[in-house]
Amino acid sequence: MVREKWTDILARYMTYLSHMTPILKETKRTIQDMSLEVLMDVKIFDKIRMDEEKRLVKKVRALSEFSAYYRGEIFENIKDFIYKYSENLNPIDIKDYLIEFFDECIQALETLTNITNPDQKKLNTTYLYLLYKYLEERLLPLGKNFEEIFSKMRKTSENWYECQRFMIMPHTFYRETVDNPDFFEIPGVSPRLYQIFNNITSLYNLDPNYYPCPENSEMEIPVILIDDVFEAFIDNVAHAEKEAIEKICERLGLRVLDNIFLAPKYDFIDILIKHNFLRENKQTDGKIRLVPQFSNETLILSYVTFISFRRGFLSKELINWVSMTFAFIIFNTVLKSRLNEHNIFYPIFTDLKTQEKVIPYLMKLLCFNNYLRLDRMKIRDSVQYRKEIFNFAGSSIDCIKQLILDLSVYLNEIEKKKKEGV
Amino acid sequence: MSGIHDIEWEKLLKEFSKSVDKSINKLEERDIDNLPGAKEALIARLTAMRDYFPQNNGELFIKSINEKIQNTFFPKTKDLGDAFELILKSRSHDQDFIINELINGFISSRSKAMASNVQGTVIDRLVEAFSKGPDFQIVDHQFYAMFSDPNKARKYVKESLQTLVDLFGLEAKELVVEKDKRKSEQKIYTFYTFPEKILEILEGDYVDTDEELGEKRISEKFDKTVFISLFLANLSVHRDDLKKIGGVYTVNGISSIFALIILLSFLPKLDIDEINPILRDPTYNPEKMSVIPKSWMMKEILLDLLEPIIKIVAYRLGGGEWLKAIETSEIKKKIHNQIRFLIKDVNKWILGELCRVDIPIFVEIGAIFAEVIVETSSED
Repeated sequence: MVREKWTDILARYMTYLSHMTPILKETKRTIQDMSLEVLMDVKIFDKIRMDEEKRLVKKVRALSEFSAYYRGEIFENIKDFIYKYSENLNPIDIKDYLIEFFDECIQALETLTNITNPDQKKLNTTYLYLLYKYLEERLLPLGKNFEEIFSKMRKTSENWYECQRFMIMPHTFYRETVDNPDFFEIPGVSPRLYQIFNNITSLYNLDPNYYPCPENSEMEIPVILIDDVFEAFIDNVAHAEKEAIEKICERLGLRVLDNIFLAPKYDFIDILIKHNFLRENKQTDGKIRLVPQFSNETLILSYVTFISFRRGFLSKELINWVSMTFAFIIFNTVLKSRLNEHNIFYPIFTDLKTQEKVIPYLMKLLCFNNYLRLDRMKIRDSVQYRKEIFNFAGSSIDCIKQLILDLSVYLNEIEKKKKEGV
Repeated sequence: MSGIHDIEWEKLLKEFSKSVDKSINKLEERDIDNLPGAKEALIARLTAMRDYFPQNNGELFIKSINEKIQNTFFPKTKDLGDAFELILKSRSHDQDFIINELINGFISSRSKAMASNVQGTVIDRLVEAFSKGPDFQIVDHQFYAMFSDPNKARKYVKESLQTLVDLFGLEAKELVVEKDKRKSEQKIYTFYTFPEKILEILEGDYVDTDEELGEKRISEKFDKTVFISLFLANLSVHRDDLKKIGGVYTVNGISSIFALIILLSFLPKLDIDEINPILRDPTYNPEKMSVIPKSWMMKEILLDLLEPIIKIVAYRLGGGEWLKAIETSEIKKKIHNQIRFLIKDVNKWILGELCRVDIPIFVEIGAIFAEVIVETSSED
């Protein structure tokens, strides 16, 4: 039985962090104690490194390998820095800079280590909870019903639409099955599915037909032909999606009528009217015709809302992707707020080797009930998979960069309040 | 241009007039716009296009394509460095976004055939690979790790790497290791990087060289536009050799993209009522966006308009050979279908209205047209 309790995962999360901090502190102390002449002779670092690696410390292999890697990277970066600036900077300044870099890293690691606590005491004051709540409000709000979540989402989409869209499009979409036998499972959106959403939006805006509303004979609802949606796809490339159109519709707030039309669901109509995506037009025969006026966001937000509302039913890929996005943003926020962008050790933290030791556990922590409420047993542990998704997480979009920036300002505010409270 | 070419050119201009006429007729039969005056504005614009474009031997087309599109995205030069520099200079934030969407759409549709799992993200991931790789180069193994599909054999990944390398005009360098650590066998690593001339241009703004270590590193400014500029520069320099630029598929794709840019530049801006809800929508930016008639997006009208312009663009950019490539019907159909998708990515739907983001190239091309209309009406 895999141990998946909060305390177990938190302990795993801390393992590597608790090895990184002492290495930094030790190295900082060594640099502090060095005379300037010795510091400028970079060969000394190779010697110190060799001595450190020879020291017999009982550790599991993975940990000692990681420590060796981490120490190695730190020393290489120090050597590079000294090489690069030995002509332009005074040795004393180089030393000061190095100590400053160390202090920043130690601070970052302390924040990451104290991000939460084992018994979740004073939850409302922990970094993880506060940072998560900030993100939740903007990317995946909670609510009593679909309408409430959709309204919240619409408000935040003004600034964060790109992030919301990014979050529902997992990079590993090719592992998803759009026509899963489990009707309730919600998969991520593949580029092709995204094109289909775009097509549906355009067809509603360009060429809707009108159909008597099955639930209300006084109303005419807009419909489009399923065949028109798929017409642009050549060589049957969207065959699977066409077959699964009913399931896809369910997730968008649409439904299939007479096997040939796509129409908004009755419950969804009110929401669309409220947000101006449908306009009521009174006809001469007394009937009300609902004229569609969709935006690019309409269906995407509907999908995100559906994900937020039924977060217990997400596919494995989507669970990994959503939790990875949250974990990635939080991890990078801590780095951004603590480290200067010229800090020579910054790349070590953003390196895959470091990220894969921290982010997967952060992902799992974020799946617990006080946070995303996702099925943490579905978080993958495979190294190959981590490589795949983290590589892509690195090429984050501008909107995510902005979110990290805003969140790091918020983190500094929390910090300030905490200090004032003390 | 020889006499034979002129006949071809005249034929293309006549074909254009006929197609616009057809579109006007279809437009008069139907109206899908809900803004008052939108249909009339579009008819007036199409009528003006039909009347003014073929005048003076198609001067408006020649100006738009030769002066604007060529200088900005497809310079007529044989020097890769010059071409790249010109394209890179014309970048602006909004322009980047739209051109990226267009070219990315085109590249992903091309890549769909070779690596289905990288659809839509090829350029993003190449940028990522270059930013993480040492000394501003990517190693073939790194590429396999990033792009390979576990369901496909390595052979396909190798082929797709080669296609991408050709598409962007990257240069390959080999490093031979006599004995590798694992098997003690000879191993050849292939590194891919930008051509030397391009590296010189990128140096400073986009790529920094560490003087002591001699290593190149990308700066914050380095992004996918650099790849797109390289892609376009590579195509424009080798435009006479269809084999080198990916054959008829590329010719059709590039001509369609530029035809779409021309068409979008000439569409009329609509005045919207001050009580229109779109003005209160946070995603609508009146300074950068304009509402355009959506009637032109109707399939019947769009395909009629797009086709002759694609041919005109192909003829202006690559002469008879490119024009011949447009005739290949099956590929043509596929590309035109792709373009219909791309229109939705480039324009934005806001509360049911089609909004165009006014990027510099649209404004510049649109200005040529406005100038001619003003001149002609003042002469009258």
